[in-house]
Amino acid sequence: MQNVRSAILRHLRVGTTHKQWLYAEDGNAQSRLSRHLCASACTSSDQLMARVIGLVKKFDKIDSNKVTETADFQKDLSLDSLDRVELVMAFEEEFSIEIPDVEADKLTCCVDVAKYIASKAKQNIAESS
Amino acid sequence: MSFSYIARRAAQKERVRILYRRALKDTLNWAVHRHLFYQDASDLREKFEANRHVEDLDTIDRMIADAEATYNNFRHPDPYIVPWAPGGSKFTRNPTPPAGIEIIYNYGREDND
Repeated sequence: MQNVRSAILRHLRVGTTHKQWLYAEDGNAQSRLSRHLCASACTSSDQLMARVIGLVKKFDKIDSNKVTETADFQKDLSLDSLDRVELVMAFEEEFSIEIPDVEADKLTCCVDVAKYIASKAKQNIAESS
Repeated sequence: MSFSYIARRAAQKERVRILYRRALKDTLNWAVHRHLFYQDASDLREKFEANRHVEDLDTIDRMIADAEATYNNFRHPDPYIVPWAPGGSKFTRNPTPPAGIEIIYNYGREDND
């Protein structure tokens, strides 16, 4: 409880003081806040990456030994376009987000997906605060 | 000739991809529970896979049009929304706290008083 409280207070203080400090401390405060308050989507980037890779490995048409951070879904993991649709839907389910068609085209490897989810989570926090 | 062929082929691929995505989401709307959804999803995939090797462009166009008509026909009238998501039945509905819970309004400022 004390942790949550200090995290919130810190975040609020960041919001009210002048902007430069906000940019300097921004990432830290936000990730701290998100770690305490957000349920699913926004964890630290390592955890996020691990979750993405774990999900990709569980996908039954992919050979789980070939999965790396930068392996291309279409070329290296030999998925066709419909498989990629299924994979994107699995990501949507796991991280409870909506990925529009245009964005779904750009997601070609695990790093892309993790980056997209992280940016989405950051957006959500910025909107809610 | 070949350029227009490639362009038409790419457009068809795009249409099929979007159709598959929508149909898959709609399948989830009908099924709601994941264990029911998996079977339906693999059925849907089989329907798409059955025509994987069709080569004739006009036939493909006709098939896509048919499939889109079918999709529109069977679209779910009331798509499933997670209850606590925007639009869901529980969205912004907060139950009253149970009896015996006390709210401390000056929490964090006790020392100053």
